Parts: sequence; structure tokens; C-alpha cells
Amino acid sequence: MQTETVEKKSALPELLGRNWIAIFIVLLVAFFSVVARSFFSFDTAQLIFFNGTEVFLLAIAELFVIITGGIDLSVGFVMGFATVVSSKLMVAFGNLGFSPLWSILAASAVTLLIGLVPGLVNGWLVAYLRVPAFIATFSMLGVTHGISELLTQGIPTKNLPALAGDIGNGSFMYIAPGGAISFFSRPQVARGQSVLAIVPNMVVLAFLFILLFAFILGKMKFGRHLYAIGGNIDAAIRSGINVKRDLIKAYVISSLFASLAGLSYVMKYITGKPDAGANMLLEAIAAVVIGGASMAGGSGTVGRTILGALVIAILETGLRIIGMQTFMTYILVGVILILAVIIDQVFPNRNR
Amino acid sequence: MAAESTSNGAFAKQRAPGGGGFFQTAIGRFSARNWALIFLLLMIVIFSFGSSGFFDIVNFQNIIHLSTGAFLLAGAELLVVITGGIDLSIGYVYGLSSVLGAKVMQILYAGGAGGLGGAGTMPVWQVIALGCLVALAVSILPGLANGILVTRFKVPPFIATMGMWGICNGVTLFLADGFMPVMGAPSQINAIGNSYFLYIDPSKSISFFTKPSYITQANIRNVLRLVPNSLFLSLAVLLVLGFVLGRTRFGKHTYAIGGSMDAAIRSGINVNRHLVMIYVIASFVSGIAGLFNLFQTGIGNYTPSGANYELMAVAAVVIGGASLTGGKGRILGTAVGVLVLAVLENGLQIIGVSAFYRYIGVGVLLTIAVIIDRAFPDLF
Repeated sequence: MQTETVEKKSALPELLGRNWIAIFIVLLVAFFSVVARSFFSFDTAQLIFFNGTEVFLLAIAELFVIITGGIDLSVGFVMGFATVVSSKLMVAFGNLGFSPLWSILAASAVTLLIGLVPGLVNGWLVAYLRVPAFIATFSMLGVTHGISELLTQGIPTKNLPALAGDIGNGSFMYIAPGGAISFFSRPQVARGQSVLAIVPNMVVLAFLFILLFAFILGKMKFGRHLYAIGGNIDAAIRSGINVKRDLIKAYVISSLFASLAGLSYVMKYITGKPDAGANMLLEAIAAVVIGGASMAGGSGTVGRTILGALVIAILETGLRIIGMQTFMTYILVGVILILAVIIDQVFPNRNR
Repeated sequence: MAAESTSNGAFAKQRAPGGGGFFQTAIGRFSARNWALIFLLLMIVIFSFGSSGFFDIVNFQNIIHLSTGAFLLAGAELLVVITGGIDLSIGYVYGLSSVLGAKVMQILYAGGAGGLGGAGTMPVWQVIALGCLVALAVSILPGLANGILVTRFKVPPFIATMGMWGICNGVTLFLADGFMPVMGAPSQINAIGNSYFLYIDPSKSISFFTKPSYITQANIRNVLRLVPNSLFLSLAVLLVLGFVLGRTRFGKHTYAIGGSMDAAIRSGINVNRHLVMIYVIASFVSGIAGLFNLFQTGIGNYTPSGANYELMAVAAVVIGGASLTGGKGRILGTAVGVLVLAVLENGLQIIGVSAFYRYIGVGVLLTIAVIIDRAFPDLF
């Protein structure tokens, strides 16, 4: 993917072209701030991240696979599968006599474990049976969809512990008007006074995982191997990388992040349903591509993918605030996706 | 996808395990090559003996009738897949065409919103014809855009068509006012979409295209209805596509581009123009499919999120023996692929197994298809 002939002419357009996402985000925020005065605020910023948690997580899920030159079509329905499994388990553990907190924790842990299975199978199919990633993960889309539908029988899970919603819609830190700081629980204040809530819990959780895996991808040998596999798989094999094992790991990580997105969904909306992530595949892949990764593999970083996802998250929340319907989001995401690829071709070699 | 295949050269060449003695024999080779057909026949036998309702001309016609959209979408997808590309937008072009056709008919028929005279001032056939014309004309545009993006701007087909998926979905939802099916098209379209070629009332009468007038909707089951109109449409489209692919220079060029883009360019094929045409045809055929959906249901249906029509089309194409790396695939195989998925769904429903198993079934079948394809690369 790398060509070392960097031409030193016209530095400014080059700089703008390479950092177009950052500029685009600024323009987007400026646009929404002008159209809706209430947009430019700390609350909206938090809302963007809160609404976009699943997009961020699914984008990272997709990134790990796209770097290897593959694609994971199953992320949306693995997410749905995770919402169903975790919500069912929370109810089941509750019925067994666990306290709400413990049933949520236990259900989440078990879900994340089960959530590794689709990735294992995907990776095994791709690495060992040489099934194209597109086919293997589409098959997994069908299988996880089918299993989730069988588990729910068409009825979204209900009767989750109320604590799940408190966690999912709560924030990490609250600052009461007097300056008192409390963590995780909203302090009781007099009517009319507002409490400053800082960082929704799910955003904190998501970014803990994202930072951890950004480190793994950027700083560890495994991360470098993924880029090598995506850049040239034959060379990666010859240089002694255990390609099969690393490919499986990439798909497992993808599946793990999809399950995390599912957990986040359950906590936020206190329900689990098979199609929870059905329409998010486009957004996940778009985030990665807007973030400058190539579908051919070998490029893409967590940081830029987050920027790509941020574009989509700002669009979604912004359009909702200025009263546009969902259809505009689809159109704009589609347009930006295509533009991203064209701009990257005009200004190549943007990252890695 | 094409880039993936080239960079994976040596990796892909290592054979998957399997393919021992039996598959070296002539019978073994035949069954490996036509496994989808054999699987289809097996399924039909199993469902026929496993239930009372499956082996029935009414049910078979039902399967065909309900698969019209799938046949057309898979045919459209096959064209693109043979060139080594992929078209993810066809499922939403399908919805766009259905909703747009319904919307145009609704406005013209009611006469109100468009300011085009009072209700009933325009003859019904004109309303229908105009609706079809607009829907079909517009359904060319996504293909044109896809083709230009892929050839002029070198956007990978996956991305270009995925972007178009979003755009078509958005436009469709706009036309459908959010998430509402579009009603109000003339009811005569149902007669076209749901009629049969032949109606036979045993020992009484035979009529073509319309049911005998003395038969009411309630006792329609007493009449033997043969060959749904939808079958004509599916056959016509698939035969044309099959003829074009198998018997014309255009078809040969399509396979050549998928086999080796460079060789195709060197041999003087105008690859860019050809690819644009392929995407336009794919989009147009999807538009026909969507329009016929309007004729079948009487309402304009947007494509629900997670319907995955385009992925099901890819599944049918791959089960039918095409390869996502391009250069391979036939219409006949694709039709078998569509039938495999349709019979699976219908059969499971009839024997009373939860329809949700079909999602799992599709996934498993698809993977098997590719593993078989990998095990016998030279057979197809």
C-alpha cells in the first residue's frame, strides 16, 4: 500500500486533502450549530457519543477484519444475537435469585464469552477452509439471525432488571450545583436545579475497550501482523507469521466488539431483539472507509476509524435535532462513503 | 473483491482438504458439479414425503410466484458477480422502484396531489403505464452511477454500491413518508400481477388470463389455475440474461472481464463502457423486480432494513456455482440457487419447522457451496 514518492508540491491542498475528515467534522458541527442554536453544547456532544456508542463499537469490529483484507457482514446480527442472549440471561439469572447487579454482571460476562463463538467460526472458515470472508460472514449473519429469532420467537425480551437501564442511561460522574461530585448515581437536588452529568457509562465502557484494542493494534506485534496479512498475505506467510491463528483472532475481536455493542444496546434500551443492529452494517463499514482504510486491506487505524464513526454519529444526532427524518442520514452516509474513497484516491498515502 | 483475490494468490491456491476417491469418478464429478441441483431434488423428495401439503401443483406455483423477485435480483447480481464485482444496491433499487411506481400511480390515480386533474380523469391504463415508465427509468440511475463510480472514479464496487444502497434507501424512505407502504395504486395492477395464464374449471370451462366470471373470490380454489403470470416474467428475464451471457459477444466479454481484467483490456474490449452497461442492466432488472412486487402486492413496499435481498441474491448466485472472484457462473445455476433457498423456506414452513431455521439453513448451505467449490476448483 505504500509508495515512498511523496511529492513536495502544493503543500496546503495536500494537507487539507489528507485531513479532510477533521475539516469535514468542523464544517458539520458549524453547520448544525448555525441551523439549530441549541446544537453547540456540552450536552449535545455527550448525546452524540451516547447515541453513537454502537456505531463506534461496530466500526472497530469491522476495522480489525478489514485490515486483514476481509469483511465481516455478520457484525449487525452478532450484535442482535448478543442483545438477545444477554437480556435473556439477565432475566434468567434474576429468576434464579441473583441480585440485579450480579445478574447483569454475570449475563454480560457470559454474553461476551458466547459472543466469541461467531468470530471463532468465521475465522476458522476463512483461515482454514478458505471460504471467502464475504460468504463466511454472511452465513454467520444468517445463523446468528436464525438463532436469535428462535430464542425470542419474534417477541423482544422484556422484564429486564431496572438497574440495567439505570446503568445504561446513567453517567460516570455527576456534579451537583454545590460542587459536590458523585460517581455513577445522580445526586438528589432541589427541583429546578440541574446536575451536570459527565460521560455516559456506556461511552466510558466502549472507549475502555477501544483504547485497549487501539494499543493492541498500534503497538503490539499482533497488530503489525494484521497489517502485514492485509498488505500481502503471501509475504506474511513466508515471513513466518502464523496467518491462520492471527486471522481467527481478528474475527474473534470483531465478534467481541459486536457483542459489546449488543450489551450497550441492551443497557440503553432495556430490551433485546434480533434485528437490533440490522441496519448498522452500512454505518460500520462506512465509518472504517471514511476513516481512510482500504477495502483491499493493510491500512486503517483505530483513531481514524473513530473519526469516521464520529462523522456518522454527528450526522445522525444533528439531523435528528434539526428535525430531519432518518432518510437523510442514509443518503448522506452513502454520499460521504463514496466521496471518502474518491478523496482518498486524489490524496493517497494518507495513513500508514 | 477483485483486489482480495489477487493479493491472496498463493494462499488461495493451497487446496482445502477433501475430494478423495469418490469424487474422481464420473458420477462423483457430476454430483459435485451439480450438487445444488441434487440437493434441490433431495429436498423436494424429503419435503414431499415428510408433509402432505408440499407436493402439490398449487404449492409449486406458489413457490415460483413468491420467488419472482428473488429470480430477477439473482439474475441481476449474477451479471455483476461474473465481472468480478458485486452490487449491494439491488435490494434497495428493488424497494425504490416499487415505492416510486406506487407513488406515481397514487398521485395520478387520485388526481389530487400532483394537480393533474380530478380523480378518474386519466384512464387507468395510462396511470399504470406512466407509473411503470417512471419507476423503470429511475431504476436505471443507480446502476449508471455505480458504473461510472466503478470505472471513472475507480471506487471499489463494494463501496460504490454500498453507498448507493444508502442513497436508494434514503430516497425510498423519503418517498414512502418514513416507514409506510405506499397505497392507492389502481387495483387493476393486482390482476396483472396475480393472474394465471390458464384457468380450468373441471368439466365446465377454460379461460385465459382472467378467472371465469361466475367464479367468486371465495370459491376460486375450485378452479385449477395454471402458470402464474409471474412465471412468464421470471422466465423471460432469465432467458434473455441467459441468452446474452451464453450466446452473445457481450456475454463473452463479460466473462472475459471477470476472468482477467488486464487481458480483457489488452484484447481491445472497452471495459469501462462494458462495466457501466453491466451495472445499468443489473439495476434495471432490479427495477423490474421491484415494479412487479408492486403488481403482486398492490402496494409500494420499501425494502426493510435487514431484509438483505442483495445478500440473498449473492447467496443464490454462489450456491448456483458462480465465484465471487469473477469469470464464472451461469443463469441456470443461479435459478437453481434461488429455488434451493425458496424450497428450503417453503418446505420448512409446511412441515411445521419454525421459519427461523431458514436463516440458519441459508448460512450453512452457502458455506457448503463455497467449500465444495474450493475442493473442486477445476470442475466448474
